[in-house]
Amino acid sequence: MINFSKIWLIIKREYKTRVQTKSFLLSTFLTPLLILGFMGFVIFMTVSDNEAPKQVIVIDETGRMLEPLTQLNATRYLPIEADQSIEQIRDLIMEDELDGYVFFDQTFLSEGTPATFVHNGSGGITFFESLRSDVRDVTRQIRLEDNDVSDAVIAIFEERPALENRRLNEAGVDEQSNAFLSSIGGILIGVFIFIGLFGYGAILMRSVIEEKTSRIVEIITSSVKPIELMLGKLLGVCLVALTQFSLWIATYAGVTILAAPVAQFFINQRMGDLQNSLNAVDATGTAANVPSDIDLSFLEQFSIDPLFVLYFFVFFVLGFLMYSSIFAAIGAAVDSEQDSQQFMTPVMLPILLGYMLNFRIAEAPDSTFAIVASLFPLTSPINMVTRMLVSNVPFWEVLLSILLLILSLIGMLLLAARIYRTGILMYGKKPTFKELYKWIRQA
Amino acid sequence: MSLVIDVQNVSKHFGKATAVNQVSFGVEKGQIFGLLGPNGAGKTTTIRMINHILNPDTGHISILGEAVSPKSQERIGYLPEERGLYKKMKVFDQLMYLAQLKGLSQTAAKTAIEFWLDRFEASSWKKKEVSELSKGMSQKIQFIATVAHDPEIYIFDEPFSGLDPINSEMLKEVILEEKKRGKTILFSTHRMEQVEQMCDDICLFNQGKAVLQGNLQSIKQSFGNNTVLLDFIGDSEFLNQLEGVRINNRSTNFAEIRLLEGASPQHILEIAMKHAEIQRFEIVQPSLQDIFISTVNDTKVAV
Repeated sequence: MINFSKIWLIIKREYKTRVQTKSFLLSTFLTPLLILGFMGFVIFMTVSDNEAPKQVIVIDETGRMLEPLTQLNATRYLPIEADQSIEQIRDLIMEDELDGYVFFDQTFLSEGTPATFVHNGSGGITFFESLRSDVRDVTRQIRLEDNDVSDAVIAIFEERPALENRRLNEAGVDEQSNAFLSSIGGILIGVFIFIGLFGYGAILMRSVIEEKTSRIVEIITSSVKPIELMLGKLLGVCLVALTQFSLWIATYAGVTILAAPVAQFFINQRMGDLQNSLNAVDATGTAANVPSDIDLSFLEQFSIDPLFVLYFFVFFVLGFLMYSSIFAAIGAAVDSEQDSQQFMTPVMLPILLGYMLNFRIAEAPDSTFAIVASLFPLTSPINMVTRMLVSNVPFWEVLLSILLLILSLIGMLLLAARIYRTGILMYGKKPTFKELYKWIRQA
Repeated sequence: MSLVIDVQNVSKHFGKATAVNQVSFGVEKGQIFGLLGPNGAGKTTTIRMINHILNPDTGHISILGEAVSPKSQERIGYLPEERGLYKKMKVFDQLMYLAQLKGLSQTAAKTAIEFWLDRFEASSWKKKEVSELSKGMSQKIQFIATVAHDPEIYIFDEPFSGLDPINSEMLKEVILEEKKRGKTILFSTHRMEQVEQMCDDICLFNQGKAVLQGNLQSIKQSFGNNTVLLDFIGDSEFLNQLEGVRINNRSTNFAEIRLLEGASPQHILEIAMKHAEIQRFEIVQPSLQDIFISTVNDTKVAV
């Protein structure tokens, strides 16, 4: 019979010794700062697009492409100089004086011979895409002109109809949805769980190895059963992870709840100042037309649903217990961290798989493959949570996923406990997979 | 008299290797019981089974009349051969944790730990991490971890190995003190002089089997007065001329001579007197060391 009061003692020790360390405090409070800093950096980089403008020479044998292209972007598209040969241009490109040239054959417009873009490899896919779209636009324009198309048709081509993205929520109210934002959120939450599973799993494994090499484990097992020790350690480390996550989520929630009123406050203040100064200038005049309200509702998209937090915890805890029981078994089987590598690889594979699938799932959350990945217990802790954030997952799928996860967690625990029990008292040679199998077989 | 530790026909295999083979022995209340044997003889495995850390493949072990269980674990204080503590944990927290795992309440654990820290003049280390302690200090802490829950049975696996003479003496004192309080003590060792000084009963292990066991004094008697102790001054060359004997121990002016079949102590004395000045001639029981070696060698031959 399992002795819960002893497990509780073990949980308390595991929890206290970790939460009281400096590294826990540092990682708990520095991580959000680092993330904020990183996000700020990314935003800064995106906003300040300080890339040097690209320069491309247009060799136009059709005689019709160059002009509209230079009209479109005069800094990017340059005419070929009178005495320049193609070889000279190529040399310039090799010397990085020039980013590339586009060659339009005589028959480009008449027979549709493909144009060629020769470049030095800088600029990447975005640059190439924008070049292609410029060429396409110009060509289309020329064709429309050539065929003497009516203005109505031209207008049709220039039309850009808007598509508003609204997602129906649980309450049946449609709300502004930013698919891009929730995809990013889905990917981030997946990365978060991945790091949590792996990071805390590694902490647990290290602690098992430490107990084994410091030989304290023999004293502990003369007081409690190995499975009690293992459960206590699993739950203790799990609680540490939950503590850290809760603090982060609370910080995040605090920031998002405060963001709107704080922003509003500053906006109002600015508006007030503006109003005052306007009033001062135009004491007699008509009320200056200052917008009284700026729409800040987009901030709501960043807020988190408590129910989602609950599911996040459920999947993390179940996934953690399942994976970490294997990590504990590996820790028990080896004498040092170096020796653990060989056994880590097969465990890492499914976590990595879940991690990598995640990017696809954030894009296509309701594809068959996303459904399978979010039900399969080895990947569901990561993939289901992402799916739930990105899409509306039917409740029965969530329930089934949890059920499958619980079943495989129990299975893993039983297997791991057998390896753990034998491993913690074995020293010396690193066991082979065959020996591990034998340990499992021994009742 | 009921047995405090009762080991019956216990065997344990690891894969194809037999670590313990059909071993039986019993320890009575208030005894100091010595488990002897060369390395790899199965002592530690047996001790782990008594501690309910390992389960025997066959056979039965009972502690104070009941089969080994988590409950019996709480009545045993166990000091493993390979000592270990959490290096990054404070001494007091660590002792509290280990004592509570043995079933002590928080207040009882606190009282006991403070008593023992005081007894070993170690109270000032309470707030120190184990990694800050010297080897001798952490040995004391380890010992307190073994005894703090006031168990009825102590099991020490090689308790004297690695101890400095002062701690060694202190441990011996504590063991004898606990015996006086009616505690039962089982320990394993290679160190014969400690066994001779302390043990009531012994069990000698070799190659997984209990090859010799019983009361230490009766075992020695059963081997008879077959050993001659000789102190002399002069050339020790004559020792090589002796026949029907085995010389267990010799130095420039001392010899411990084991008489084999038919050898006569008087004959030895005669020869010795011819070659050296005899300062002591004594016929005694064999030393445990001698019994140990000859029994182990005999069983090796037998197997």
